[in-house]
Parts: sequence; C-alpha cells; structure tokens
Amino acid sequence: MTEPYIELHAASAFSFLEGASSPESLIERAAKIEMPAMALLDRNGVYGSARFHTSAKRNDVRAHVGAEVSVSGFGPRLTPAAWLPHQHIAEPARVPLLCESREGYQNLCQLITRFKMRETTKQEGSANLADIQQYASGLICLTGGDEGPLAAALMRGGEKAGCEAVEQLVRIFGSKNVYVELQRHQEREEEWRNQTAIRIARSLRLPVLATNGVRYATAYDREILDLFTAVRNHTELDRAGRLLSVNSQRHLRTAKKMRMLFRDVPGAIENTRDLSSRLQFELSDLGYEFPRYPVPDGDTMDSFLRKRVEEGVVRRYGPKRDAALLERARKQVEHELALIAKLGFAGYFLIVWDIVDFCKKHDILIQGRGSAANSAVCYALEITAIDPVGMDLLFERFLSESRGEWPDIDLDLPSEEKREQAIQYVYRRYGERGAAICANVITYRGKSAAREVGKALGFDQDSLQRLSGLVSQFEWRGPKDTMAHSFHNAGFDLQHPRIAKYLELCMRIQDLPRHLGQHSGGMVICRGQLDRVVPLERASMPGRTVVQWDKEDCADLGIIKVDLLGLGMMAVLKDCLELIPKHYGDKVDLAQLPEDTEVYHTLQRADTVGMFQVESRAQMASLPRNKPEKFYDVVVQVAIIRPGPIVGKMMHPYMRRRQRKEEISYPHPSLEPVLKRTLGVPLFQEQLLRMAMTVANFSGAEAEELRRAVGMRRSWERMKKLEEKLREGMRANNIDAATQETIIQNISSFALYGFPESHAASFALIAYASAYFKVRYLAAFTCAILNNQPMGFYMPAVLVKDAQRHGLRIKPMDIQVSEWACTLEYEDDGSLSMRLGLGYAKGLRKQAAEMITRSRLDHGPFRSAEDLTSRVPLLNRKELTLLARVGALNTLAGIENRRDALWQVERAGKLEGPLLRYREDLLKEDAKDSPLQQMSIDERLVADYAGTGLTIGQHPMAYRRSQLRNDRILSAEELRNRRDGDYVQTAGCVIARQRPGTAKGFIFLSIEDETGIANVIVTPDLYERERLVVTRSKFILAEGPLQNQDGVIHVKATQLRTLSNQGLEVHSHDFH
Amino acid sequence: MTKAVETYACLYVKEFPAQALLRLRPELQNKACVVMEGKPPLQTVCSLNTKARLLGIERGMTQVEVDTFPKVAILTRSQQTETAAKAILLECAGAFSPRIEDRSEDVSLLCGVDIAGTRGLFGPPEILARSLLQRVRSLGFSARIAISSNFHAAICMARGQTQGGPIQVILAGDEAQALSSLPLAILGMTEVQREVFAHWGIRTLGMLANLPEKELIARMGQGVKRLRQLARGEMPHLFQPVEPAFTLEERIELDTPVELLESLLFVIGVMLDQLILRAKARILALASITITLSLEGAGSHTRIIRPALPSTDKQLWIKLLHLDLAAHPPSAAILNVVLHAEPGSTSKVQLGLFSPQLPEAGRLDVTLARVKAILGEENIGCAVLEDTHAPEPYRIGSFTVPSNESAISASEQSRTAVRQLRPPEAISVTLQESKPTHFWFRERRYTIEHAYGPWRVSGDWWNSTLWGMEQWDLVARAHDGAMLCCSMLHDLMHKEWQMAGLYD
Repeated sequence: MTEPYIELHAASAFSFLEGASSPESLIERAAKIEMPAMALLDRNGVYGSARFHTSAKRNDVRAHVGAEVSVSGFGPRLTPAAWLPHQHIAEPARVPLLCESREGYQNLCQLITRFKMRETTKQEGSANLADIQQYASGLICLTGGDEGPLAAALMRGGEKAGCEAVEQLVRIFGSKNVYVELQRHQEREEEWRNQTAIRIARSLRLPVLATNGVRYATAYDREILDLFTAVRNHTELDRAGRLLSVNSQRHLRTAKKMRMLFRDVPGAIENTRDLSSRLQFELSDLGYEFPRYPVPDGDTMDSFLRKRVEEGVVRRYGPKRDAALLERARKQVEHELALIAKLGFAGYFLIVWDIVDFCKKHDILIQGRGSAANSAVCYALEITAIDPVGMDLLFERFLSESRGEWPDIDLDLPSEEKREQAIQYVYRRYGERGAAICANVITYRGKSAAREVGKALGFDQDSLQRLSGLVSQFEWRGPKDTMAHSFHNAGFDLQHPRIAKYLELCMRIQDLPRHLGQHSGGMVICRGQLDRVVPLERASMPGRTVVQWDKEDCADLGIIKVDLLGLGMMAVLKDCLELIPKHYGDKVDLAQLPEDTEVYHTLQRADTVGMFQVESRAQMASLPRNKPEKFYDVVVQVAIIRPGPIVGKMMHPYMRRRQRKEEISYPHPSLEPVLKRTLGVPLFQEQLLRMAMTVANFSGAEAEELRRAVGMRRSWERMKKLEEKLREGMRANNIDAATQETIIQNISSFALYGFPESHAASFALIAYASAYFKVRYLAAFTCAILNNQPMGFYMPAVLVKDAQRHGLRIKPMDIQVSEWACTLEYEDDGSLSMRLGLGYAKGLRKQAAEMITRSRLDHGPFRSAEDLTSRVPLLNRKELTLLARVGALNTLAGIENRRDALWQVERAGKLEGPLLRYREDLLKEDAKDSPLQQMSIDERLVADYAGTGLTIGQHPMAYRRSQLRNDRILSAEELRNRRDGDYVQTAGCVIARQRPGTAKGFIFLSIEDETGIANVIVTPDLYERERLVVTRSKFILAEGPLQNQDGVIHVKATQLRTLSNQGLEVHSHDFH
Repeated sequence: MTKAVETYACLYVKEFPAQALLRLRPELQNKACVVMEGKPPLQTVCSLNTKARLLGIERGMTQVEVDTFPKVAILTRSQQTETAAKAILLECAGAFSPRIEDRSEDVSLLCGVDIAGTRGLFGPPEILARSLLQRVRSLGFSARIAISSNFHAAICMARGQTQGGPIQVILAGDEAQALSSLPLAILGMTEVQREVFAHWGIRTLGMLANLPEKELIARMGQGVKRLRQLARGEMPHLFQPVEPAFTLEERIELDTPVELLESLLFVIGVMLDQLILRAKARILALASITITLSLEGAGSHTRIIRPALPSTDKQLWIKLLHLDLAAHPPSAAILNVVLHAEPGSTSKVQLGLFSPQLPEAGRLDVTLARVKAILGEENIGCAVLEDTHAPEPYRIGSFTVPSNESAISASEQSRTAVRQLRPPEAISVTLQESKPTHFWFRERRYTIEHAYGPWRVSGDWWNSTLWGMEQWDLVARAHDGAMLCCSMLHDLMHKEWQMAGLYD
C-alpha cells in the first residue's frame, strides 16, 4: 500500500477571517481524497473542533485536536521585508500545538483560557513563554508555516536565530515533541526557509513533518480567503496588495501530490502517519462531569433530592384536596425518582432546584418550560408550574433510560436585569472557571454578506445601503426571492462581471462564521474546572465569560447546559403582580388564577393584542373558530399555530372538528384515550409517543427514540428499522394495512415540527395569565407591557391605541408628573389612568430623566423652562427640544403649547458669556409671547410619532375619516358588518407585515385605524407588482373582496395604494 | 455725480448638465432624457429633463432602475460641454453688463448681472430681462430671470419661484413681500438650523423674516442673522465680478507652410518672449508649454514640455522645445502654431552656503530631456515599488529629492543577483511531463540540467486583469558547453513561455 498522508496543520473558517472553509467541508474533502485522519488547528481556540469532530465521526475520519496559539515571546510573525511596501500589522507568531493525550488537551484549553481571560475585554490576546512552559505537557509542537516562530526567526536573524528558536521549543516541549514543519506552496522564499529548516532539523536530530498549512478545502476557495483578508484588515481587495495570498496552494492536497512534492525529503510524509498514530486524544474522550450538589452529612444526593421532592408533593398537591390525584402523584414521583437515581441525575435536578430557589428568595419570577414540565419531580421542586399528573403528561418525553443523554430544562426569567442576577449567581456558585455561557457563532447572512463583500470589492456606501435595505428578511423564500433578485432590485446590473462576482462571493460565504457572540442564556456548568474541558474567553458584556462552542456543539459532546432565558412576558407578569395589589387592592397568585368566562369570551373574539402567544395575526384568525372555553383549549391554541401542525395538515381538521363541521374519528379505536383530548387529531409529540406505545407496544424509551429518529433527517436508516418495528407491532395488534399507513403517515409528517404538550402547557399558563390581567386589570397590564418593551408582536403605538379602545385613559408625558417608567394615576372618580413615562421620549437619557424626578422630589415642581434648565443642567439642547416637541413641557408656567416650549427652551438652553450673564436688563426680551404659530394637528402627530413612537391623541386615521367616508372607504369596525364576498375598500396604518413560511408566498398586512385592526391578504402576484407599496408604505389603501368567515375578517387585496405618509415615523413589526 | 441705484438680474438655468447636452441634440428634445455620472457600473442620474421627471425618474437612480422606464435616452455627463456652455451663457450675460458674478452650483447655472445704469442702453429692467431671456432661449436653454435691487433677493427669487412666468421683477422695497412665500429650503442652512426651523414650523422665508431679530439671535447664534437678512431681502452683497480667465496662449498663422525646424524656432522665440513677459508681469514663471502645430493635410501635432521647475529662461525653453521636436518631429509641413503655457510660481530654491554644489536645475532638465529623447519618456524616472504580488510590482515615478534618512539598511545576507529582462523575451520550450527539458533562447538551444519550480503566483481574481503564472529557475547548458542560469516563466493566461531573468 502506498504511504498515506495526513494533514496535521489545517485551519477552518473558525480561525475567524483567516480560514475560508467550514470544518465540515474540510472533512468532506478529506473523506473524498481518502485521508484517514486530519488535525484542525484554529487560531487561538478550538472553536471549530466540535463540529470537526462530529463531522469526522460521520465520515469515518479521525479528527485530531489542536490550535495555533499566539505567543508573544517568539517575536512578531513573518511579514514582507521592510523595503517592500506592505500593510501587514505586527502580530505575535503562532505556535501550532497538537493534543497527544487528554492531559495535553486540558493543558491546551487552560493555556488558551489563561491568556484570553487575562484581557479585560473581548480580545485576541496572546500567551507568554511562562504560560506555555506551564501547560506544555501532553502537547506536540510544530515549528509552523509562515505564521510560526521558525519562519519569524529565520527572517529576523537567519539560520542561527532559527536554530535558537527551535532549541527553545525543544526546551519547552521536549525533543520528542517538536517536529520541524515543512510547507511547500511553491513559493521561492518559503523554499529558502525550508532548506534552512531541514538543516536545522538535521543538526538538532529532530523529525521533519510535511504539512500544507491548509486554509481552505479546495483551491477555488482561495478567493474567499483573500476576501476575508480584506475584511479583516478593513480594506478593499484592490488595495490589499501583499496582504493577499500569492497563489491558491493552501488547499487540502492529496497524498499523491504531497508525496510528489516532498520526495526529496525523506521521512516528511511518513512522519505524518507516525505522528497521527501518536495523537491518541479525541474529543469523545473529553472527561466532562456535571458538578455534584453539596449535601449535608448523612445524605446522598439521591436521598436529599427525595426529601425535597416529598416536601414539594405535599406543598403542591396538598391544597388540591384530591386523594386520588395525590396518590397518583406519589406513584409518579416514585417512578421518576427511581429512574433519576438509576441514571445518576440527582445532582442535575438539585442544581436547577438551587437556581430556582435562589430566584424565589430574591423575588425573581422564574418558570421552567420545555419537556421538563412533563416531570412530577420538577413540579414538586417548583421548577415548573404545570401539574403533569393532573394533566396526564408523558414523563418519557422528558427522560428516558435508553437515551443516554442529559435532560434539558429551560428556565424562563423576566428579561435583562433579573436574568443577569440569576446568571451572576451561577457564576458565583461555580466559580469564574466553573461556569460560562454558550457561544453563539455569528455567521454571514444575506445582509452582512452583501455589506462586507461589497465593501471589499469597493462599491460605494450608497449602493450598499440600498442593497442591504432590500436583501429580504422574509421568512419565505420564493422562487424570485433570491439574492440575485435583491441585487437586481437594488439597481445592480448582474451582467457586469464585477457585480456577478459580487453576487457569487456573497452566496459562497453564506453561513461561514464571522465572529463569536454569546448565546442568549445557555449556561454550561462543570465539575471541577470548565477550562479543562473547553477554553473560556471574555464576552463583550462585562462580567460574562463564554465557552468556545455553541449549544449544538455542547450537546453533541454531552456537555450539559441550563438555559436561563429571558422572556419579556415574565417581566410583564411580575410587574402586574406588584401593580395589582398596590392599585386595585386585589391579591393575585399566578398558580391559582380563577377560570374566568369573560377572559374566554375575549379570547373567542380574538381581542388579544398584547397577550402572550395568542396575539399574532394567525392566532387571531383561528381564535374565533376554535373558541377556547377552558384552560386546555388554550394549551391547544398555543400549540396549533405552529409550522408543525400546519405543514402536517392537522390544523384544519382540528378546527373543523372543534366547530362541529366534521365528525370526530380515530385512526384506530384503541387510540381514543390518547387522542380524545385533541378530538382525534394528533397535535403533540407526547401523543405520537403514546400512539406508538398503544398500537405497536413500544416502550416509552423506544417511542422516544422513534420521535427523535423522525426528527433527524439524517437517521434514515434508523427510521426504517423503527418503522418496520412499528408495523410489526401494529400487525401483532391486528391493525389493518390501511390504518397502519395512516398512523405512520401521522407520525412521520408531524414529529419533525411537533410541539411538546408540556411546553405548550407552560406557555398556555403564561398566555392565560396575560389574558386574565389584560381583561381584569387593563391599566396595570398596559402599564407593565409598555414598561417592558420591546416585546411581543405589536409596537407600543398599537398597544396604546388598543388600550384606549378598551376604555383606558392614557395621559401625556408631563415633566411635572412623569417618572422614567409609565405609571398609574387615580382619577377624581376613583378610576385608574396611565401616565406615559419619560422613557418613551426617544433620545432622552435615563440619567437625565432620573435627575428630573429627583429634582422634582427635592425642590417641588419646575417653575419655568429656565428653572428646568438650571435645576437639571444635565439636559442637553436635543433633549430639551425633544421634551418640548412632544408636549412634555406644556404644564410649565408661561408655556401654552408645544411651540411656546420650543421657543423658550431654545433660549433657556443657551448661556450667555460671563459679561452678559448677570445683566438681566439687557437680556430681557421685548416680546412676551412666542412669535411661533401653534402646531397644527398634522404637525402634532408628526412630533408625537417622531418623539415617542406613538400618539395618545386621536389615531391618525380618525382625522381623515370624513374624507374616507365620502370615498366609501370602510373602517375596520365597518368591515365586520359586511358580508363575505362583498367588494370593499379599506385603509389604515400598517402595523405588521408577515410572510409566513407556510403561506406559499402570500403576505399578510395588519392595518389599524381608530376602530381596530383589519387584515389584508396580498397575493404573490400583487406583491411582485406593488413591491414598494407593500414593503414601504406606512398608510395603505386596499380594495378587494371581503372574506368574512366565522367572524374572521380578511380583505383579499386586488389593488393597493399608498395614502400619503404625512412624514409620520410610524413603525411596523415586519416579517416575523 | 449721483450713484445709480443698485439693480441686479439673476439668470438661473436648472438641470444644467442635461440642458448643456441637449441643446445640441434637437432630436432628443421631445424625449425623456437623463444624464448619468459616476464610474461604471455605478453611474447614477445627476440631471434630467421634465419629460423624464414626469415619468417618475429621480436623481440618484441607477442605470438598472432607469432601465425599468420605457424609452429613456441616457446621456453621460460631460464637463467639457458644460464648461463650454457655461462660457457661452456667461458671455451672453456679459453682453448686458461687464459685471457678472458666477454663483453656479453642481447641477445648475446661476449668474448675477449688475445692471445698474443700463437703462439708457437696454431700457427698463423688464425689457432687459426679456431680451436676455430671448438671447438665452436662442442659445437653446430654458431659464428663469429675477431682478431686484438686492443681489441675494434676485438669486433667491430666481431659484425659488416656480410660478408666475420666467421673469420676476421685484420693486425696490418690496423684497420681503416678494420673497415671503418661497420655501425655506432655498437658503443654505446648517443641519441644526434646518432642524430648529422644522421644529418651529418655519417653512417659508416670510415666516423667518417675521421672527424678532434679537430673540432669534439669542437662540440660534449670529449665524442666523444672515438667514434672516436673506429672507427679508436685506442682505448686503459685495459683488465679485468674474474676471476673464488668465490664459497664457499665443497663436500664429504662418504665411507659408514651414518644414525646417530652425525657422520654426525663430517664430517660437518671438512667441516665448510674449508669454514670458506676460507671466513675469504677474510674477509668475512658465511651468509647462503645450505646443500645437497644425499640419498640412488637416492633421495636428501636439507636444507638452514640463521641466522640473517653472522657468522664465527663454534659452532653456528654446532648448527644451528644440530637443523635444527633434525627437518627435511633425509628419508634415506646419501651417500654424499655438503655444499654450501653464503658469507656475517662480523657483524658490535656496541652496545652503556650504552644501555641495548641485548641477543647475536648468542644465539638469536639458540633460534629462536629452535622455528622454533617446529612451522615451516613460522610461525615465525612478522605480517606485508597489504593494502587490503582480509580476511587475513597480512603476516609474518622477525624480524627487530624496529624504535624508535611508530607512532601510541592506540585508546582510548575500543574495544571488539576477538581471531581469524587460520586457521578458519569448522562447520556445520542450516539455516532458509538464516539466521543461529543452529551450531555444537567443538562437541557441539549451538542455536543462536542473529545474527548480514551478513557483506559482496568481492574483487579481476579482478583476478582468486577473493573472497567473509559473516560474522556473533553471540551470541549462548549450551545445558548446556554455552554462546558463536563468528564470523562465510560463504565463498561464496567455499560454506563453518567456525568459524573465538571467542569474549572474
């Protein structure tokens, strides 16, 4: 057999902007050229190793782990000679290190963590010689290519310096662990270095090693590397000069080619095989352990958990006064605890319980969701709020014996501040090196690609701006919705070679990593030191550290994370729980909210603006049909408007059955208990599991395996086996062939997108709570939701108008009264109204607003504009103008209207020079009154929207109503009274534009007027014709036939027109 | 003597790039036309005619956007045409008064004419305006004219007034009233001023004019005073008449065609006297001279002479011209001569008392001109390295005075010297398994003994100028035993083999 060649020095695109191929494509290429193993050495990290490893496993390639580590002690890396013009910046040389053993890997991780964490902000950083000396064992060092220490030393001081550099490496790593690396990219200078390196290797008796310093999978990808080089150096390709590569030889070459290139250097190729066989470490041997929970003496984690759970069962089920339920719960808990003990997961539950406990003690609302809600143990530990026993949820969906993986618990927290508290608690508890956030790899997408490639190719800012504005953010990608189409629409001529190249490059870099961000809340915790498992580094947010892998990578390698997610609605509920007792005097408890018919009536009317999960247009269109009457209906409602049920064609059968338009039937009589709750239509993942268990006698674990097999496209083979087993089971149960087919169809079409019932139940609880608060405590709810923006489906302007339509009085922002947040006020008649907070003045700094409120508190109301500026000197001219413009200064003495205020603040904001400052007689102004005209209605509207994003006065459409009525244009309210099929005209302000992936290119516009919200359907054809009107117009006039079915109203537009935009900065929520 | 009342006429030609191009193209007059500017492929519309605007075309649209409109004629902006057209218009205005002020903007021509005291010649201002407009129209332009005793009022009126015919006459004292309805945007304002006025709801000049001055300045600073004066038509103006451009040009028609260079130099000498005299009068020297010779048979011959330093030394110029014309002789007999000189400041080189003597600048120029005449202009200068991997990474830059410090010391390592062949010489090569084995070079056949390579280089893949080549370093021997160490290259784009350099 011919000698194999193994590439031991390759970098992927995870060397951010210094490599041009994904780890997956490197492996694909390796598999294609039959390379049995390969090593990935990215710059200062193992960012790509997890993917590299996973992909290598699939392709039967051995994946070696390593990294190129910047070491400041080896001097700056090679740059072109000083007499040549070039733009290289000084960077430290990088030493390529390979992990021979687990110890070596742990050392590499700690080494990288050491210097990354030495930086105080997110920085590349570099190691010093002491660092590598400390962490050298188990690592094999190569002398590197042009980024390495040998090349740098040779250029600096010739052969002598090179020899010294290699000797230094030998002193650090030991003579057995240093290889003199030779790369041949067919460059003259490099060959000169190679010849010297060979002499040095011979004199020091070190082995030589051929590598290709790979930066991309195929020669063609050199273009991407050059492009990235330009991006990395903030320059254009035309100006990058010597920064770019000389040729395209840094691809993954075949063994044959490498043997030919190195046939004059004995051992260079053979040594790659020998070294590869020395490298025993692989990522599957990570040695990760989840931390143990410290328990009191005499307890084990299992016994401690059992005690906590038993207490919880009494606390949770006691008040329900249902002996049978309690008995069932005890049995379920027993079953779960046995399994948890068997799998050794007690520590995990206790740690999550500990976090929840911390939150409860510190007044942070927290609720578990996801499949954890299937577990009675989680319910008893108060991790979740849904009773899985009472709701008959399936535990196996959460935890099963055969799966061999950790359970997944997601915790919802009110966003930002409170969530940060919880995260910081975890850091404190497990140490800076014991916990970290998962990374989030930011990749090139349509817009970012178009922008950066355009810049590199030297296109001007204006064209790029226009293009990035047009690159579609639509969910649905229609046949014409390609990047090429966007380019064309932006006014680019695709026939032009340079523009064709632009487009091509944009497409090629899609999904390649750009930089590392942090995940929204996935925390990785480790027993012992996490920095021995994966390198940690600083996140851009102070006080945060991130691991170098994202959450899929962590999951693939069996690292457990706890998701601490921010959920805006949790913060709203939390605020409501404070506002309601304070202002209404009612005591409310989220776990004990009453079933309220008024709330269900409101849901049935789809009057749901602002309510969690049921406020979207699609939800509104289905609520009047489904008519929820009890809590479980809300659970279904939350789950049904999802891609899964829609694609699986389950939504319509359920709705028809719900409306009694269709007979309820079951695929097989034995499935009735499983599907009864959802009228014979499978909607939840748990039901699919139970179906398999019922009809084919699957065990819980087998059923879960089936769900996962269906969920993964790749596991086709496994799926086939399971399907056979399923059929076999069904045959054993005497189910006929046709029914078998239906059941299998049900399972395979749905499982991919299905929603766990437990998850839906957790969300439904929040949805119901939000609905209940909105219906019963509108002022508190509106105040809370406005104080927690941005969140949800609608802009504040829509929420305000909706609240006003429901009878809430909203009062304007007032410098004498408003706080930073919106607040509640009592009216003379005892009713509650809401005062707009200063936070809604767009551009006012919180600091300045706080100074206003403090000054008011200390010294009473402001007397004049002068008084305001002298007492709150922090306010700058812009802020004063802003406050004046939106009418917040109208209650100051001497100010009658907004223009008065604008006239006065312009003066008050200006100090005279020292000579004039105290000469009031000179400064006195002749005219008492402002010479400016009062704002017209239109001007006030423009000022409101520009300054606050909303208006509390009349809806802009109300001012045009009489004109519209003359033109026979109907309001949203009037549409409700028209018959299905009537040809109508309607107009309004666009508040949302959507193109759902499931709607085949149809677009839904939600338009609002003073009477409510109407929906307009835009066909793909009409969209093509009126693209600008659809995407840009703020006020729109639509005409076409009305669809009025079951109380759901849509106008199917045949014509669209822009009503004048009046210069209003109205914002809509688009395409989500 | 009583001073005539100030009166100004303002001539305003909008969409000037389009009008300048279209006046000579009557066939396009009834079509929608746009003028594009910018580098391909990124041109945008910079000017357009009314028909195009009515179609919905706007400034700033790209070619592809314009292509979506039917039947639009697309023209490319021409500065030369605009300059010529502007000269014509200014000349036309100049016929009514010697005092004209050019206030043109990027895409419009705006010119103020001081017509005080012209009543006797051209009649009252209305009549003058009408005849000016008529003249302008006969030149193929459409324009607006405003007349006022305040220069800026006339300018504002011409730019801002869109109704009431192309001629507006503001009576003295009526300025504020006449300007009051014009939009505020016609005044040049800063971003902050624009924003404040927008907040205040001030939209027209009239509204601005009515604001109390002291209070306004207290709020917006002294800068706003100017705006308020402009809005009231009270802004004083210091007229800055356009001077006829200073051009150093002499032209002579020869009585008989001249063929001998010597006799031509005699004529040139006389012309140079004049040029140098005029330049000296302004304390200037001649920086360069363009000589254009009209030749028999309708051809012409143009040469440009540019010495290192501007000079007024007639003998030096004669010498330089002589050398240049001797190196580039005209192809036929000469009918007329135009000498056009660019003025430059006189030489200010001050040499130190103890600094080493340098060759006199004039003499060095003569020497360089001699060398240039022999080698060709593009081959004289110093090589400047460029930041690129491309095969010829240098350009010829002009000689400059070297800075004192030589920043980079030569590398200590001994390197092989190579004589690069410029340009590389084509050779024929025999290959075996894509490696060269024999080649013919300068009529000798060589057998290759050692071949190192190929060294591969390629680049500029994003441009149409992309290039790629392989280089080989060879040790070869001819039949007679002569050894040749050389560098050969294989241009992959043009599939050519070339000898690039010889190693010493």
